[in-house]
Amino acid sequence: MNREPRWRLIAIAMLVLAALVLAACGDDEEESSDEPAAAAEEFPADTTMAEIQEAGTITIGVKFDVPPFGLNNPQSGEVEGFDVDLGNYIADRLGVEAEFVEANSDNRIPLLVDGSIDLILSTMTITEERDLEIDFSEPYYVANGDVLVPGGSEIAALEDLSGQTVCTALGSTYQETIKAEVPDAQLKLVDRYSECLELIQTDAVDAVSTDNVILTGMVIQDDTLELLDLDFTTEPYGVGIPDGDTEMKEFVDESVAEFIDDGSWQETYDEWVGQYIPEDQIQGPPDITLEEALKLFPL
Amino acid sequence: MSGLWEVLTEHLPEFSSGFFVTFRLVAVAFVIAIVVGTLVAAFRVAPVRWLNLIGGFYVETFRNIPLLVLLFIAFAGLRRAGVPISPWVAGTASLGLYTAAYIAEALRSGVFAVGKGQVDAALSLGLTYPRTLRLIVLPQAFRTVIPALGSLVIAMIKNSAIVGASLLALPDLLKEARQIQSETFQTTEVFFWAAVGYMILTLSATFAFRYFERRFEIKR
Repeated sequence: MNREPRWRLIAIAMLVLAALVLAACGDDEEESSDEPAAAAEEFPADTTMAEIQEAGTITIGVKFDVPPFGLNNPQSGEVEGFDVDLGNYIADRLGVEAEFVEANSDNRIPLLVDGSIDLILSTMTITEERDLEIDFSEPYYVANGDVLVPGGSEIAALEDLSGQTVCTALGSTYQETIKAEVPDAQLKLVDRYSECLELIQTDAVDAVSTDNVILTGMVIQDDTLELLDLDFTTEPYGVGIPDGDTEMKEFVDESVAEFIDDGSWQETYDEWVGQYIPEDQIQGPPDITLEEALKLFPL
Repeated sequence: MSGLWEVLTEHLPEFSSGFFVTFRLVAVAFVIAIVVGTLVAAFRVAPVRWLNLIGGFYVETFRNIPLLVLLFIAFAGLRRAGVPISPWVAGTASLGLYTAAYIAEALRSGVFAVGKGQVDAALSLGLTYPRTLRLIVLPQAFRTVIPALGSLVIAMIKNSAIVGASLLALPDLLKEARQIQSETFQTTEVFFWAAVGYMILTLSATFAFRYFERRFEIKR
Protein backbone atom coordinates (compact mmCIF):
# COMPACT_ATOMS: atom_id res chain seq x y z
CA MET A 1 0.00 0.00 0.00
CA ASN A 2 1.19 3.51 -0.74
CA ARG A 3 1.79 5.20 2.61
CA GLU A 4 2.43 8.75 1.38
CA PRO A 5 -1.18 10.03 1.02
CA ARG A 6 -2.16 8.77 4.45
CA TRP A 7 0.56 10.79 6.14
CA ARG A 8 -0.52 13.82 4.18
CA LEU A 9 -4.09 13.25 5.38
CA ILE A 10 -2.98 13.08 9.01
CA ALA A 11 -0.94 16.27 8.60
CA ILE A 12 -3.96 18.06 7.14
CA ALA A 13 -6.21 16.77 9.93
CA MET A 14 -3.76 18.06 12.54
CA LEU A 15 -3.54 21.45 10.85
CA VAL A 16 -7.35 21.70 10.81
CA LEU A 17 -7.41 20.79 14.49
CA ALA A 18 -4.78 23.41 15.30
CA ALA A 19 -6.74 26.02 13.35
CA LEU A 20 -9.90 25.15 15.27
CA VAL A 21 -8.09 25.46 18.59
CA LEU A 22 -6.71 28.86 17.59
CA ALA A 23 -10.12 30.02 16.41
CA ALA A 24 -11.67 28.91 19.70
CA CYS A 25 -9.04 30.87 21.64
CA GLY A 26 -9.79 33.95 19.57
CA ASP A 27 -13.40 33.92 20.73
CA ASP A 28 -12.34 34.51 24.30
CA GLU A 29 -11.23 38.05 23.64
CA GLU A 30 -13.97 40.23 24.96
CA GLU A 31 -14.68 43.69 23.74
CA SER A 32 -13.73 46.16 26.46
CA SER A 33 -16.72 47.03 28.62
CA ASP A 34 -18.46 50.37 28.56
CA GLU A 35 -17.31 53.32 30.65
CA PRO A 36 -18.54 53.04 34.24
CA ALA A 37 -21.71 54.99 34.85
CA ALA A 38 -21.01 58.53 36.01
CA ALA A 39 -23.28 58.30 39.05
CA ALA A 40 -21.32 55.54 40.80
CA GLU A 41 -19.90 56.26 44.22
CA GLU A 42 -16.11 56.50 44.67
CA PHE A 43 -14.32 54.28 47.16
CA PRO A 44 -10.85 54.40 48.81
CA ALA A 45 -8.29 52.65 46.59
CA ASP A 46 -7.62 49.69 48.87
CA THR A 47 -11.25 48.52 49.15
CA THR A 48 -12.77 45.59 47.28
CA MET A 49 -15.31 47.98 45.75
CA ALA A 50 -12.53 50.08 44.18
CA GLU A 51 -10.88 46.92 42.84
CA ILE A 52 -14.17 45.81 41.30
CA GLN A 53 -14.66 49.25 39.74
CA GLU A 54 -11.13 49.07 38.35
CA ALA A 55 -11.91 45.67 36.81
CA GLY A 56 -15.23 46.91 35.44
CA THR A 57 -17.15 43.77 36.37
CA ILE A 58 -18.41 42.13 39.53
CA THR A 59 -18.63 38.33 39.44
CA ILE A 60 -21.67 37.01 41.29
CA GLY A 61 -22.47 33.36 41.98
CA VAL A 62 -26.15 32.58 41.43
CA LYS A 63 -28.15 29.42 40.81
CA PHE A 64 -28.80 28.58 37.16
CA ASP A 65 -31.65 26.14 37.66
CA VAL A 66 -33.83 27.63 40.38
CA PRO A 67 -36.64 29.76 39.04
CA PRO A 68 -37.71 32.27 40.27
CA PHE A 69 -34.38 33.19 41.95
CA GLY A 70 -31.74 32.30 39.40
CA LEU A 71 -32.51 30.62 36.09
CA ASN A 72 -30.36 30.41 32.99
CA ASN A 73 -33.20 30.94 30.56
CA PRO A 74 -32.58 28.80 27.50
CA GLN A 75 -34.76 31.06 25.34
CA SER A 76 -32.92 34.31 26.00
CA GLY A 77 -29.57 32.85 27.03
CA GLU A 78 -29.66 35.22 30.02
CA VAL A 79 -29.70 34.43 33.72
CA GLU A 80 -32.79 35.85 35.39
CA GLY A 81 -34.63 35.92 38.70
CA PHE A 82 -34.83 37.64 42.07
CA ASP A 83 -31.18 37.01 42.99
CA VAL A 84 -30.06 38.24 39.55
CA ASP A 85 -32.06 41.47 39.90
CA LEU A 86 -30.52 42.17 43.32
CA GLY A 87 -27.09 41.38 41.85
CA ASN A 88 -27.65 43.83 39.00
CA TYR A 89 -28.85 46.42 41.53
CA ILE A 90 -25.59 46.08 43.49
CA ALA A 91 -23.55 46.21 40.25
CA ASP A 92 -25.38 49.38 39.16
CA ARG A 93 -24.52 51.06 42.47
CA LEU A 94 -20.86 50.30 41.72
CA GLY A 95 -21.25 51.39 38.10
CA VAL A 96 -19.97 48.05 36.81
CA GLU A 97 -21.29 45.16 34.79
CA ALA A 98 -22.50 42.09 36.68
CA GLU A 99 -21.22 38.75 35.46
CA PHE A 100 -23.25 35.79 36.71
CA VAL A 101 -21.64 32.39 37.14
CA GLU A 102 -23.28 29.20 38.38
CA ALA A 103 -22.86 28.53 42.09
CA ASN A 104 -24.96 25.78 43.63
CA SER A 105 -25.49 24.85 47.26
CA ASP A 106 -22.41 22.65 47.39
CA ASN A 107 -19.76 24.79 45.65
CA ARG A 108 -20.82 28.39 46.34
CA ILE A 109 -18.83 28.90 49.56
CA PRO A 110 -15.60 27.34 48.18
CA LEU A 111 -15.97 29.58 45.08
CA LEU A 112 -16.25 32.69 47.26
CA VAL A 113 -13.42 31.65 49.56
CA ASP A 114 -11.02 30.98 46.67
CA GLY A 115 -11.88 34.32 45.05
CA SER A 116 -13.57 32.93 41.91
CA ILE A 117 -16.62 35.04 42.70
CA ASP A 118 -17.03 38.38 44.50
CA LEU A 119 -20.47 37.73 46.05
CA ILE A 120 -22.91 34.85 46.53
CA LEU A 121 -26.58 35.42 45.70
CA SER A 122 -27.68 31.83 45.56
CA THR A 123 -30.82 31.40 47.73
CA MET A 124 -28.42 30.97 50.64
CA THR A 125 -29.86 30.62 54.13
CA ILE A 126 -27.91 32.42 56.85
CA THR A 127 -26.40 29.90 59.29
CA GLU A 128 -23.77 30.16 62.02
CA GLU A 129 -21.81 27.32 60.44
CA ARG A 130 -21.53 29.17 57.12
CA ASP A 131 -20.84 32.40 59.01
CA LEU A 132 -17.55 30.86 60.18
CA GLU A 133 -16.40 30.65 56.55
CA ILE A 134 -17.88 33.81 55.04
CA ASP A 135 -19.76 36.96 56.08
CA PHE A 136 -23.46 37.55 55.51
CA SER A 137 -25.35 40.69 54.60
CA GLU A 138 -28.57 41.60 56.38
CA PRO A 139 -31.37 39.22 55.24
CA TYR A 140 -32.88 40.15 51.86
CA TYR A 141 -35.55 37.49 51.70
CA VAL A 142 -37.22 35.03 54.05
CA ALA A 143 -38.15 31.61 52.73
CA ASN A 144 -39.73 28.71 54.61
CA GLY A 145 -38.98 25.02 54.63
CA ASP A 146 -41.52 22.98 52.72
CA VAL A 147 -42.11 19.64 51.06
CA LEU A 148 -43.12 18.91 47.47
CA VAL A 149 -44.85 15.65 46.51
CA PRO A 150 -46.40 14.21 43.36
CA GLY A 151 -50.16 14.84 43.08
CA GLY A 152 -52.14 12.20 44.99
CA SER A 153 -49.28 11.32 47.32
CA GLU A 154 -50.10 10.05 50.80
CA ILE A 155 -47.45 12.27 52.35
CA ALA A 156 -49.19 15.12 54.12
CA ALA A 157 -46.91 16.00 57.03
CA LEU A 158 -43.23 15.98 57.88
CA GLU A 159 -43.57 12.73 59.89
CA ASP A 160 -44.93 10.96 56.80
CA LEU A 161 -41.48 11.27 55.23
CA SER A 162 -40.30 8.50 57.55
CA GLY A 163 -39.12 5.57 55.44
CA GLN A 164 -39.53 7.56 52.21
CA THR A 165 -36.84 8.84 49.85
CA VAL A 166 -36.45 12.62 49.99
CA CYS A 167 -34.42 14.67 47.53
CA THR A 168 -32.58 17.86 48.47
CA ALA A 169 -29.39 19.62 47.41
CA LEU A 170 -26.01 18.60 48.75
CA GLY A 171 -24.81 21.30 51.14
CA SER A 172 -28.28 22.77 51.75
CA THR A 173 -29.69 23.37 55.25
CA TYR A 174 -32.25 20.62 54.58
CA GLN A 175 -29.50 18.00 54.47
CA GLU A 176 -29.19 18.47 58.23
CA THR A 177 -32.79 19.49 59.01
CA ILE A 178 -34.31 16.33 57.47
CA LYS A 179 -31.71 14.13 59.18
CA ALA A 180 -32.63 15.71 62.53
CA GLU A 181 -36.42 15.88 62.07
CA VAL A 182 -37.03 12.60 60.23
CA PRO A 183 -34.03 10.32 60.84
CA ASP A 184 -35.77 7.43 59.05
CA ALA A 185 -36.12 9.30 55.78
CA GLN A 186 -33.68 8.20 53.08
CA LEU A 187 -31.92 11.29 51.74
CA LYS A 188 -31.06 11.62 48.06
CA LEU A 189 -28.47 14.38 47.84
CA VAL A 190 -27.92 15.90 44.41
CA ASP A 191 -25.88 18.86 43.15
CA ARG A 192 -28.72 20.86 41.65
CA TYR A 193 -32.41 21.30 42.44
CA SER A 194 -33.26 20.60 38.79
CA GLU A 195 -32.04 17.04 39.46
CA CYS A 196 -34.59 16.77 42.31
CA LEU A 197 -37.27 17.83 39.85
CA GLU A 198 -36.16 15.12 37.40
CA LEU A 199 -36.17 12.53 40.19
CA ILE A 200 -39.64 13.38 41.49
CA GLN A 201 -41.09 13.54 37.98
CA THR A 202 -39.93 9.98 37.32
CA ASP A 203 -41.05 8.77 40.78
CA ALA A 204 -37.44 7.98 41.68
CA VAL A 205 -37.98 9.85 44.98
CA ASP A 206 -41.12 10.28 47.07
CA ALA A 207 -40.66 13.94 47.96
CA VAL A 208 -38.43 16.99 47.56
CA SER A 209 -37.72 19.19 50.55
CA THR A 210 -36.25 22.68 50.42
CA ASP A 211 -37.28 26.37 50.52
CA ASN A 212 -40.90 27.00 49.48
CA VAL A 213 -39.86 29.51 46.80
CA ILE A 214 -37.63 26.96 45.10
CA LEU A 215 -40.41 24.38 45.26
CA THR A 216 -42.90 26.94 43.89
CA GLY A 217 -40.55 27.25 40.92
CA MET A 218 -40.85 23.50 40.37
CA VAL A 219 -44.66 23.65 40.53
CA ILE A 220 -44.57 26.40 37.88
CA GLN A 221 -42.62 23.98 35.65
CA ASP A 222 -44.82 20.97 36.43
CA ASP A 223 -48.27 21.60 37.89
CA THR A 224 -48.93 17.92 38.65
CA LEU A 225 -46.69 18.40 41.72
CA GLU A 226 -48.12 19.59 45.03
CA LEU A 227 -46.70 21.83 47.73
CA LEU A 228 -47.66 20.81 51.28
CA ASP A 229 -47.35 24.32 52.81
CA LEU A 230 -45.73 22.99 55.99
CA ASP A 231 -43.47 25.97 56.75
CA PHE A 232 -41.41 23.89 59.16
CA THR A 233 -38.33 26.17 59.09
CA THR A 234 -37.62 29.85 58.58
CA GLU A 235 -34.76 30.42 56.14
CA PRO A 236 -33.59 34.03 55.81
CA TYR A 237 -31.40 34.53 52.73
CA GLY A 238 -28.25 36.62 52.96
CA VAL A 239 -25.71 37.83 50.41
CA GLY A 240 -22.43 35.92 50.87
CA ILE A 241 -19.43 38.25 51.31
CA PRO A 242 -15.76 37.22 51.67
CA ASP A 243 -14.90 36.66 55.34
CA GLY A 244 -13.68 39.76 57.15
CA ASP A 245 -14.28 42.25 54.31
CA THR A 246 -16.04 44.80 56.54
CA GLU A 247 -16.14 47.58 53.92
CA MET A 248 -17.75 45.23 51.41
CA LYS A 249 -20.26 44.05 53.99
CA GLU A 250 -21.14 47.64 54.84
CA PHE A 251 -21.60 48.44 51.14
CA VAL A 252 -23.77 45.35 50.49
CA ASP A 253 -25.87 46.02 53.60
CA GLU A 254 -26.47 49.58 52.37
CA SER A 255 -27.38 48.23 48.95
CA VAL A 256 -29.86 45.72 50.38
CA ALA A 257 -31.43 48.42 52.59
CA GLU A 258 -31.74 50.76 49.61
CA PHE A 259 -33.13 47.95 47.44
CA ILE A 260 -35.88 47.49 50.03
CA ASP A 261 -36.46 51.19 50.76
CA ASP A 262 -36.73 52.49 47.19
CA GLY A 263 -39.42 49.97 46.26
CA SER A 264 -37.18 47.81 44.06
CA TRP A 265 -37.63 44.87 46.44
CA GLN A 266 -41.44 44.91 46.12
CA GLU A 267 -41.24 45.30 42.35
CA THR A 268 -38.83 42.38 42.05
CA TYR A 269 -40.89 40.27 44.45
CA ASP A 270 -44.11 40.89 42.52
CA GLU A 271 -42.41 40.00 39.25
CA TRP A 272 -40.74 36.76 40.33
CA VAL A 273 -42.70 35.45 43.31
CA GLY A 274 -45.90 37.37 44.08
CA GLN A 275 -47.73 36.56 40.86
CA TYR A 276 -47.30 32.81 41.30
CA ILE A 277 -48.54 32.30 44.87
CA PRO A 278 -51.93 32.61 46.59
CA GLU A 279 -52.67 36.11 47.85
CA ASP A 280 -52.66 35.14 51.53
CA GLN A 281 -49.05 34.01 51.26
CA ILE A 282 -47.72 37.25 49.78
CA GLN A 283 -45.10 38.76 52.05
CA GLY A 284 -43.29 42.06 52.41
CA PRO A 285 -39.55 42.71 52.76
CA PRO A 286 -37.83 40.76 55.57
CA ASP A 287 -38.36 42.15 59.06
CA ILE A 288 -35.60 40.07 60.63
CA THR A 289 -32.04 41.15 61.40
CA LEU A 290 -28.85 39.24 60.64
CA GLU A 291 -28.37 38.62 64.36
CA GLU A 292 -31.83 37.06 64.72
CA ALA A 293 -31.32 35.06 61.52
CA LEU A 294 -28.07 33.53 62.79
CA LYS A 295 -29.89 32.24 65.90
CA LEU A 296 -32.27 30.21 63.71
CA PHE A 297 -29.41 27.95 62.56
CA PRO A 298 -26.96 27.80 65.49
CA LEU A 299 -23.80 25.74 65.43
CA MET B 1 -11.43 23.44 63.95
CA SER B 2 -10.57 19.88 64.56
CA GLY B 3 -7.58 18.18 63.00
CA LEU B 4 -7.09 15.52 60.36
CA TRP B 5 -7.54 12.63 62.76
CA GLU B 6 -10.65 14.07 64.48
CA VAL B 7 -12.41 14.47 61.11
CA LEU B 8 -12.07 10.72 60.59
CA THR B 9 -13.04 9.64 64.10
CA GLU B 10 -15.97 12.07 64.36
CA HIS B 11 -17.41 11.02 61.01
CA LEU B 12 -16.41 7.36 60.99
CA PRO B 13 -20.02 6.06 60.60
CA GLU B 14 -20.57 8.18 57.47
CA PHE B 15 -17.14 7.38 56.00
CA SER B 16 -17.54 3.65 56.56
CA SER B 17 -21.11 3.48 55.25
CA GLY B 18 -19.92 5.33 52.12
CA PHE B 19 -16.92 3.02 51.82
CA PHE B 20 -19.12 -0.10 51.91
CA VAL B 21 -21.58 1.32 49.39
CA THR B 22 -18.63 1.91 47.03
CA PHE B 23 -17.26 -1.55 47.82
CA ARG B 24 -20.59 -3.25 47.06
CA LEU B 25 -20.97 -1.19 43.90
CA VAL B 26 -17.56 -2.17 42.49
CA ALA B 27 -17.87 -5.80 43.65
CA VAL B 28 -21.17 -6.31 41.79
CA ALA B 29 -19.96 -4.32 38.77
CA PHE B 30 -16.77 -6.44 38.68
CA VAL B 31 -18.76 -9.69 38.45
CA ILE B 32 -20.96 -8.25 35.68
CA ALA B 33 -17.90 -6.92 33.85
CA ILE B 34 -15.97 -10.22 33.93
CA VAL B 35 -18.95 -12.37 32.90
CA VAL B 36 -20.20 -10.07 30.14
CA GLY B 37 -16.67 -9.16 29.06
CA THR B 38 -15.70 -12.83 28.61
CA LEU B 39 -18.90 -13.55 26.69
CA VAL B 40 -18.38 -10.59 24.37
CA ALA B 41 -14.73 -11.51 23.81
CA ALA B 42 -15.84 -15.06 22.90
CA PHE B 43 -18.35 -13.58 20.45
CA ARG B 44 -15.67 -11.40 18.88
CA VAL B 45 -13.23 -14.24 18.22
CA ALA B 46 -15.86 -16.83 17.25
CA PRO B 47 -15.66 -18.18 13.70
CA VAL B 48 -19.27 -17.04 13.13
CA ARG B 49 -19.67 -13.72 11.40
CA TRP B 50 -22.92 -12.57 13.00
CA LEU B 51 -21.53 -13.28 16.49
CA ASN B 52 -18.48 -11.13 15.59
CA LEU B 53 -20.83 -8.34 14.56
CA ILE B 54 -22.83 -8.50 17.80
CA GLY B 55 -19.60 -8.49 19.86
CA GLY B 56 -18.20 -5.58 17.84
CA PHE B 57 -21.45 -3.64 18.19
CA TYR B 58 -21.42 -4.16 21.96
CA VAL B 59 -17.82 -2.98 22.37
CA GLU B 60 -18.20 0.06 20.15
CA THR B 61 -21.45 1.10 21.83
CA PHE B 62 -20.32 0.86 25.43
CA ARG B 63 -16.77 2.06 24.81
CA ASN B 64 -17.82 5.14 22.86
CA ILE B 65 -20.45 6.52 25.22
CA PRO B 66 -19.16 8.45 28.25
CA LEU B 67 -20.04 6.65 31.49
CA LEU B 68 -21.98 9.68 32.72
CA VAL B 69 -24.17 9.65 29.60
CA LEU B 70 -24.69 5.92 29.96
CA LEU B 71 -25.85 6.48 33.54
CA PHE B 72 -28.34 9.14 32.42
CA ILE B 73 -29.75 6.82 29.75
CA ALA B 74 -29.85 3.83 32.09
CA PHE B 75 -31.59 5.73 34.87
CA ALA B 76 -33.41 8.91 33.85
CA GLY B 77 -33.93 7.69 30.28
CA LEU B 78 -35.42 4.33 31.25
CA ARG B 79 -37.52 5.83 34.03
CA ARG B 80 -38.91 8.44 31.61
CA ALA B 81 -39.76 5.52 29.33
CA GLY B 82 -41.71 3.94 32.17
CA VAL B 83 -39.16 1.33 33.32
CA PRO B 84 -38.98 1.59 37.14
CA ILE B 85 -35.24 0.83 37.34
CA SER B 86 -33.65 1.50 40.74
CA PRO B 87 -30.56 3.69 41.12
CA TRP B 88 -28.68 0.68 42.47
CA VAL B 89 -29.46 -1.54 39.45
CA ALA B 90 -28.81 1.29 36.98
CA GLY B 91 -25.49 2.10 38.70
CA THR B 92 -24.05 -1.40 38.97
CA ALA B 93 -25.28 -2.41 35.50
CA SER B 94 -23.90 0.73 33.81
CA LEU B 95 -20.52 0.48 35.51
CA GLY B 96 -20.31 -3.28 34.87
CA LEU B 97 -21.42 -3.18 31.22
CA TYR B 98 -19.15 -0.19 30.52
CA THR B 99 -16.11 -1.95 31.98
CA ALA B 100 -17.09 -5.20 30.20
CA ALA B 101 -16.42 -3.54 26.82
CA TYR B 102 -12.81 -2.82 27.86
CA ILE B 103 -12.35 -6.26 29.39
CA ALA B 104 -13.64 -7.84 26.18
CA GLU B 105 -11.03 -5.93 24.19
CA ALA B 106 -8.23 -6.91 26.58
CA LEU B 107 -9.28 -10.57 26.45
CA ARG B 108 -9.51 -10.47 22.66
CA SER B 109 -5.90 -9.35 22.47
CA GLY B 110 -5.05 -12.19 24.88
CA VAL B 111 -6.84 -14.69 22.67
CA PHE B 112 -4.82 -13.57 19.66
CA ALA B 113 -1.65 -14.11 21.69
CA VAL B 114 -2.49 -17.83 21.85
CA GLY B 115 -0.95 -19.50 18.79
CA LYS B 116 -3.41 -20.34 16.03
CA GLY B 117 -1.76 -23.77 15.79
CA GLN B 118 -3.17 -24.65 19.21
CA VAL B 119 -6.72 -23.87 18.09
CA ASP B 120 -6.25 -25.91 14.91
CA ALA B 121 -4.79 -28.79 16.92
CA ALA B 122 -7.68 -28.74 19.39
CA LEU B 123 -10.31 -28.61 16.65
CA SER B 124 -8.61 -31.41 14.72
CA LEU B 125 -8.66 -33.51 17.90
CA GLY B 126 -12.41 -33.25 17.79
CA LEU B 127 -13.05 -30.55 20.43
CA THR B 128 -15.96 -28.26 19.64
CA TYR B 129 -15.24 -24.56 19.28
CA PRO B 130 -16.77 -23.56 22.66
CA ARG B 131 -14.78 -26.32 24.37
CA THR B 132 -11.60 -25.25 22.60
CA LEU B 133 -12.17 -21.74 23.92
CA ARG B 134 -12.96 -22.88 27.43
CA LEU B 135 -10.20 -25.48 27.81
CA ILE B 136 -7.36 -24.26 25.59
CA VAL B 137 -7.63 -20.61 24.60
CA LEU B 138 -9.31 -18.67 27.45
CA PRO B 139 -7.16 -20.02 30.31
CA GLN B 140 -4.05 -18.92 28.44
CA ALA B 141 -5.69 -15.65 27.32
CA PHE B 142 -6.65 -14.76 30.91
CA ARG B 143 -3.08 -15.41 32.05
CA THR B 144 -1.62 -13.04 29.46
CA VAL B 145 -4.09 -10.26 30.21
CA ILE B 146 -3.98 -10.36 34.03
CA PRO B 147 -1.90 -7.14 34.24
CA ALA B 148 -4.25 -5.40 31.79
CA LEU B 149 -7.31 -6.58 33.75
CA GLY B 150 -5.74 -5.19 36.91
CA SER B 151 -5.52 -1.73 35.33
CA LEU B 152 -9.12 -1.97 34.13
CA VAL B 153 -10.39 -2.91 37.58
CA ILE B 154 -8.52 0.02 39.13
CA ALA B 155 -10.09 2.31 36.51
CA MET B 156 -13.50 0.82 37.34
CA ILE B 157 -13.08 1.47 41.06
CA LYS B 158 -12.25 5.09 40.33
CA ASN B 159 -15.11 5.35 37.82
CA SER B 160 -17.50 4.30 40.59
CA ALA B 161 -17.18 7.88 41.89
CA ILE B 162 -18.95 9.04 38.72
CA VAL B 163 -21.90 6.79 39.57
CA GLY B 164 -22.25 8.46 42.98
CA ALA B 165 -21.84 11.96 41.57
CA SER B 166 -24.49 11.43 38.90
CA LEU B 167 -28.25 11.81 39.13
CA LEU B 168 -28.42 8.37 40.77
CA ALA B 169 -27.21 9.98 44.00
CA LEU B 170 -26.05 6.73 45.57
CA PRO B 171 -24.61 7.42 49.04
CA ASP B 172 -21.12 6.19 48.05
CA LEU B 173 -17.77 7.21 49.55
CA LEU B 174 -17.50 10.42 47.50
CA LYS B 175 -21.10 11.47 48.25
CA GLU B 176 -20.65 10.88 51.98
CA ALA B 177 -17.35 12.80 51.91
CA ARG B 178 -18.97 15.73 50.12
CA GLN B 179 -21.80 15.67 52.65
CA ILE B 180 -19.31 15.85 55.54
CA GLN B 181 -17.36 18.56 53.70
CA SER B 182 -20.48 20.69 53.23
CA GLU B 183 -21.22 20.45 56.94
CA THR B 184 -17.70 21.01 58.28
CA PHE B 185 -16.02 22.93 55.41
CA GLN B 186 -12.84 20.93 56.16
CA THR B 187 -12.21 20.29 52.49
CA THR B 188 -8.60 19.10 52.62
CA GLU B 189 -9.11 16.77 55.59
CA VAL B 190 -12.33 15.22 54.30
CA PHE B 191 -11.07 14.54 50.78
CA PHE B 192 -7.79 13.22 52.15
CA TRP B 193 -9.75 10.46 53.89
CA ALA B 194 -11.92 9.88 50.83
CA ALA B 195 -8.73 9.41 48.80
CA VAL B 196 -7.43 6.97 51.41
CA GLY B 197 -10.70 5.03 51.14
CA TYR B 198 -10.38 4.73 47.36
CA MET B 199 -6.73 3.76 47.67
CA ILE B 200 -7.60 0.95 50.08
CA LEU B 201 -9.82 -0.48 47.35
CA THR B 202 -7.46 0.12 44.41
CA LEU B 203 -4.35 -1.11 46.24
CA SER B 204 -6.21 -4.26 47.36
CA ALA B 205 -7.08 -4.85 43.70
CA THR B 206 -3.46 -4.23 42.71
CA PHE B 207 -2.18 -6.78 45.23
CA ALA B 208 -4.83 -9.33 44.29
CA PHE B 209 -3.94 -9.09 40.61
CA ARG B 210 -0.23 -9.22 41.36
CA TYR B 211 -0.86 -12.42 43.33
CA PHE B 212 -2.75 -13.96 40.37
CA GLU B 213 0.00 -12.81 38.04
CA ARG B 214 2.61 -14.66 40.08
CA ARG B 215 0.37 -17.66 40.69
CA PHE B 216 -0.31 -18.25 36.98
CA GLU B 217 3.10 -17.14 35.79
CA ILE B 218 4.66 -19.11 32.93
CA LYS B 219 8.04 -20.21 34.24
CA ARG B 220 10.68 -19.32 31.67
